[in-house]
Amino acid sequence: MNVFRIVIHILILYAFYWTGVWIQGVLQLPIPGSILGMLLLLAVFIFTSATPKWIQEGSGLLLGNMPLLFLPVTAGLVIHGELFSVLGAVLVTAVFISTLLVMGTGSWVSQYLLKKRREHRE
Amino acid sequence: MNEWWTGVAAIAGTMMVYAASKRMYRRFPAPLMLPIVTGTIVIILFLLISGIPYNAYMTGGQWIESLLGPAVVALACPLYEQRHLLKRYSVPILSGIGTGAVIGIISGLVFTRAAGASKEWAAAVLPKSVTTPVAMDITTTLGGDAPLAAMFVMVAGIGGVVVHAQVMKAVGVTDPVAKGIGMGSAAHAIGTAKSLENSETEGAVSSVAMTVSAVIVAFLAPLAGNLFL
Repeated sequence: MNVFRIVIHILILYAFYWTGVWIQGVLQLPIPGSILGMLLLLAVFIFTSATPKWIQEGSGLLLGNMPLLFLPVTAGLVIHGELFSVLGAVLVTAVFISTLLVMGTGSWVSQYLLKKRREHRE
Repeated sequence: MNEWWTGVAAIAGTMMVYAASKRMYRRFPAPLMLPIVTGTIVIILFLLISGIPYNAYMTGGQWIESLLGPAVVALACPLYEQRHLLKRYSVPILSGIGTGAVIGIISGLVFTRAAGASKEWAAAVLPKSVTTPVAMDITTTLGGDAPLAAMFVMVAGIGGVVVHAQVMKAVGVTDPVAKGIGMGSAAHAIGTAKSLENSETEGAVSSVAMTVSAVIVAFLAPLAGNLFL
């Protein structure tokens, strides 16, 4: 009956996804419907007695195999030859540098605040 | 009927490629051996050699892709399970992730403009520090191409894993919570997998940072994109 449960769990996740997409459409929001659906599910966990255990099999399967789900999309690079250009190489470098900046500043700020709070407590 | 069989073959083939590349990664766990890297290369080579058009492949591929939406929704589960971390370190965690998200978007805007990139390219670069399905959604919202977004997300993830230790040294960060925040908000799921190898705390914080960062960037990137692109 495991397959049956997995299907039900994924259908529940779909229901939240489509609700998110619907809200996005109705309110004309620029935020992706998937993120709205995620926040909605989070709200249900917080404000009701529902827990992630209820949909564990389905959510675990999807989260554990995420790369499979975007393989068809990344294979779309086959029709994006423009990535293999000077601009493409420049932007790959830019993304790499930006990643260093995000990582360095994010960590530094949080460590600074963590230290400050610990000193405050002592 | 023919199209139906193409679709079934595409789904079965993609799953087989994924299973094989996952097994390969388990034997050779290096960042460039990630299933998404090797799997993508194998499928692209297969399409190029066999001459099957991408659109024909996608008659099946779209069914797999359609599971991405529910997968993003499912991120609420690990986030909820780690809520004690968010409560305990709310200020350092949210400030760190917020700083990273803002720096990522601003540097993305500055670099793409300096490089003279078009709006389509910039739309694919802006959300590069968040997990692939969310980044693709943001890029599509901004009028860019999802595959390009996925490519830049991989560059950020793999690049982030490779340099994480050196960056932490350079900025003098030793706290596992702070380390996890840098990893999760810059290198998303690929980085989180690495952080889980480093320590349990770092991994848990990284997974929280990745999801919270996805939410923040999902709100900020479209705003920045509409204003500056």
